[in-house]
Amino acid sequence: MSPTRFASEHKWVYWGAIVILVGLLITGLIRYSSVKRNNETLTKANQLQEELEKAGYPSPDTDTLERLLGTDGGQVCEDPGSALKTALWKIQQANGAAGPGMRPVITDTKAVEVERIVLQVYCPDELDDFEDSLDDLKTDDTVRR
Amino acid sequence: MSSIDTPADVPRPRAAATRPAPTTLTWVTLALMTTASVASLRAAPTMAVYGLACVFLYLVPAIVFLLPTALVSAELASGWNGGVYRWVSEGLSKPLGFLAVWCQFAMTIFYYPSLLGFVASTIAYIIDPALASSGPYTAIVIVVLYWTGVWVSSRGTKALAGLASWGLIIGTLIPGTLLVVLGMVFLGQGNPSAAPMDSSHLLPQWTGLASLVLIVNNFLSYSGMEMNAVHVSSLKDPAKEYPKSMFLAMGLVLLIFILPALAISWVVPADQLSLTAGVMQAFDAFFSYFGIGWLTPIAAVALISASLGGMLTWLAGPSKGLLEISRQEGYLPPFLQKLNKFGIQQNILVTQGVVTTVIALGYALIPNVSSVYWIFSVITTQVYLIVYLLMFAAAMRLRRTQPDHPRGYRAPALGVLCVVGLLASLAALCIGFVPSSQFGSGSVWSYVAIVGGGLVILGFVIPWAFLKFRKPSWKTAPATTPSEGEQA
Repeated sequence: MSPTRFASEHKWVYWGAIVILVGLLITGLIRYSSVKRNNETLTKANQLQEELEKAGYPSPDTDTLERLLGTDGGQVCEDPGSALKTALWKIQQANGAAGPGMRPVITDTKAVEVERIVLQVYCPDELDDFEDSLDDLKTDDTVRR
Repeated sequence: MSSIDTPADVPRPRAAATRPAPTTLTWVTLALMTTASVASLRAAPTMAVYGLACVFLYLVPAIVFLLPTALVSAELASGWNGGVYRWVSEGLSKPLGFLAVWCQFAMTIFYYPSLLGFVASTIAYIIDPALASSGPYTAIVIVVLYWTGVWVSSRGTKALAGLASWGLIIGTLIPGTLLVVLGMVFLGQGNPSAAPMDSSHLLPQWTGLASLVLIVNNFLSYSGMEMNAVHVSSLKDPAKEYPKSMFLAMGLVLLIFILPALAISWVVPADQLSLTAGVMQAFDAFFSYFGIGWLTPIAAVALISASLGGMLTWLAGPSKGLLEISRQEGYLPPFLQKLNKFGIQQNILVTQGVVTTVIALGYALIPNVSSVYWIFSVITTQVYLIVYLLMFAAAMRLRRTQPDHPRGYRAPALGVLCVVGLLASLAALCIGFVPSSQFGSGSVWSYVAIVGGGLVILGFVIPWAFLKFRKPSWKTAPATTPSEGEQA
């Protein structure tokens, strides 16, 4: 029997994994549907669009911005200067590995700067903490535009 | 025949008495396990930023690192059971074999906290984004998921092979295909690609050292391709099936890395990807374009299952290799060599679990640890490169010293492959000493000292201590010899 099939001796392992993943899936779908768009999300999205254009970045789609950032910046503004968020954020400034070969690289300057603008618009009170880690980041122009 | 398959009439040490018959894996399952341990969609948004140049950034390392690693390990595994420890032991020396498997094992310890930290933040993305910055929440998720992984691994290869394979299919292959199909639909509708796709964008921007760091560090994207060779004895016909398994895995890894990254770059401009501050927001931006943003939480669950599947393969592989050589050569105390009723290295897994838990708790709860955690990822990848240096050197030597040893697969131009692989590994080792973005404006020499010091302690001092203090009574299994019944 192929080990990829449901071996009876491991059925609780498989069923446990399925139940947890389905539970997460249902939770995620319910939470997604609870995200609402209103005048405020549109105002913020337009404001961000203006700021990005002013800084020389392409104009993003406001629908996407409303969905992603809402009125308060969503996850982007959830304590971005905290050690854990900074650790995750810094680990993501990495090569193209998905396994243990993940290793930091020298990040593209413009790609990092965008986040500063998002924070300025959506959660300026979080900007100071984040600025410290951003200012200390050595960058270079590694993306051909 | 490997050390595992000693005939029943040979007296066996007590530690091995409970070992059951080897589990049979199909070559396709082993290919899926290998792919699960290396590839994931997690890296797709990161590489999508580079647009068409991401093809170059994955293909060049594939030619100079993936191809040599895959072909050389296929030849070695088709001739010698047991993975890197056995290859290096036979080709160079037993202490170097221990060093190879130790480095493969040690580097994973620092991998789990960052992997599971990512899983915790993805779960937080689904449930409540505020949780992502909570240390206790992250610590609990890491510990629970890690120990669940240890429990699953201790149930045997069959249990983890199933979960890893399904994790790859559900978490990477299906959503990856969806990304590529949507990307093609986007282009098919007549939309211009967000990232320029002309020939002038085939190569990444050259800015000197920063670009070199990016290109050479990408060699490590393929690290781990040889890791599942330790399960080769679970195949029915290892000599023929392992090379087939490696070729399938190589193709899948390339497709998984390149196509979804390209698809994202077609739809979402590079600078918009970066305003997302996370992998899930990048997927959200992609799906939102098509008006199917509700797929984002589904993609999150898919990424979680893929990450956990990948973790299971890493839990089982290196520790099994460490056990095999330790039993034969007495490199570890008998306590660590104890097997459970499924024949799994339970005590190594548990000890590794305790160490990982301490590191993970530090990562989640101590601000200074989490802030500099990225440097551990540099040190551990440096340590891992030692494995490749030893593997390529051993392969060359085995061709010379044991040219007639039966091999199910002979890699073409092995010498060239090994030299290319050695040079690529050396280049990656050297570039690891160049400070990355996160080190900021700190002294270069401090960085070199930290990375070099970590490399020496983790990669040389600790394994040397095990070798130095081992006792003859720690041998619990007969050592294998080159002539001892290999499969052809």
